[in-house]
Amino acid sequence: MASQPGESGLSIRDVGMVYRRGEQVTTALVGCSLEIPEGNWASLIGASGCGKSTLLRILADIVRPTSGTALVGGVTPAEARAARTFALVSQQSTMLPWRKILANVELGLEVAGVDKVERKRRAEEAIELVGLKGFEQAFPSELSGGMRQRAAIARALTLKPRFLLMDEPFGALDEITREKLNFELLRILKETSATLLLVTHSISEAIILSDTVAVMSPRPGRISHVVDIGFGHERTGAMRDDPQFGAYESELRHALHGPAGAPRPMATPSPSHALA
Amino acid sequence: MSSITVPDLAADAAGGSEPGTGPAGIPWGLVLPPVLFVVALVALWAVLSAAGLIPRYILPAPGAVLNEFTRNYAVLARHAAYTSGEAVAGFIIGNAAAVLMAIVFSYSGLLKAAFYPFALISRAIPIVAFTPLLVIVLGRGLPPVIAVVAIAVYFPAFLNMMRGLASADVDYHEMLHTLSASRWQRLKMVDLPASMPYLFAALKVSASVAFICAIVAEWIGANVGLGYLVVISGQYFKLPTLWAAIIVAAVLTLLLLALVVLAERALRRWTAAPGEI
Repeated sequence: MASQPGESGLSIRDVGMVYRRGEQVTTALVGCSLEIPEGNWASLIGASGCGKSTLLRILADIVRPTSGTALVGGVTPAEARAARTFALVSQQSTMLPWRKILANVELGLEVAGVDKVERKRRAEEAIELVGLKGFEQAFPSELSGGMRQRAAIARALTLKPRFLLMDEPFGALDEITREKLNFELLRILKETSATLLLVTHSISEAIILSDTVAVMSPRPGRISHVVDIGFGHERTGAMRDDPQFGAYESELRHALHGPAGAPRPMATPSPSHALA
Repeated sequence: MSSITVPDLAADAAGGSEPGTGPAGIPWGLVLPPVLFVVALVALWAVLSAAGLIPRYILPAPGAVLNEFTRNYAVLARHAAYTSGEAVAGFIIGNAAAVLMAIVFSYSGLLKAAFYPFALISRAIPIVAFTPLLVIVLGRGLPPVIAVVAIAVYFPAFLNMMRGLASADVDYHEMLHTLSASRWQRLKMVDLPASMPYLFAALKVSASVAFICAIVAEWIGANVGLGYLVVISGQYFKLPTLWAAIIVAAVLTLLLLALVVLAERALRRWTAAPGEI
């Protein structure tokens, strides 16, 4: 990471998150720091409840951290949101059920006040890019989960975001569809040159789609390990057969679960979670 | 009523195409049984009347009621016009106020907190009982009747609209938030379309409430309308007129209900279907 930290990429500095509900105090994140230079692809990986989605939601200006700073392209998440420099794709495709696919993909442009003709042109372009041409007039309920997720990616791309924030975008899909979409996303990323931050719980998805993988540990959520993936940006399906892929896979697995053979601590639900 | 709502649901389940319909698109399997039932009932009524088994002062022969429609057509039409006018005016005013207030209240937590409990309690208040009071305030005639209808249809629409405006999944709100959408855009693009199934559920109930309230309010507060006609013909033992007025009121109620259902279908392109969001 040679470029100036935080200047133009995504920057998380000593971010902490504490939830208080009456007497209960839950520490969701503690001392999280990560720099993602512009144009890079990064993943946050960890077990559910480790705070990886919270970190992404801080960058998307959905929640505010209780300590530390987050910067998106050198400005606060709120300023970045107002300037529409990032787009969020979540696990649920959040397609409005009463809008056809074209109208759903146009939504971001419509909110931004782009005129009708331009809106349609850019939405059709994005729909073609994600491979949904011919489905413009379909309702979301008529498409499969994978196709709805493609549409959500198309909607995110219409605003030509510098930063693409994805919260387990393929988490609800089957393994086969998921891997297909991983490589589709690689192709799209190269065409758009966007910076990617992906939240996932799939080790292989993290390797396929990242230059940097940050491993998170739960209770309290923190970044425990960072692995650089040296595959460059010219990636094909053959990368999965590369011995280096397997090496990254085991490195990440060990970072997530501890070294092989070592006794794993039983995950006991903390009382505060049980009460909430 | 079921003959209207049932094919509606069937169309939803099939995503627009209607199975089991004839070449003309009429679902005979659903239409025929209730029609035959009514025909049988009228036939039974005619037979029992002819045999003198039903006292004429309770239920006159079907011929006498039918005769009333042709003979007294102008009178029935005049009173029906008043009642329809009151019911429809009250229906529009009450529901429009409910939708606007629900939108305003959904923006203001304080207003909602202050008013919502009373809106809930209002379900226990018989609104027509306020008619004498409204007559004192507004005078006899159309205004108190319209006011009773408006108040009666207001509360179900307001309550359902409040629920409907809050019904959209938080994921949709977060999505619009990250797109930097304004509150107005959020209302227009998500909350209003999502609230429509809730609003229409209320409108379908209040379509009949509107006519019932108009008729009852006319007993007290007006000297025109079907309610007035019912009271007068009862007092003078003009049973054919009374029954004709009841049938006209029922047909008018069904017409308003049909209009509501048609409006819901026309809006389907822009709004959620029941249970969709």
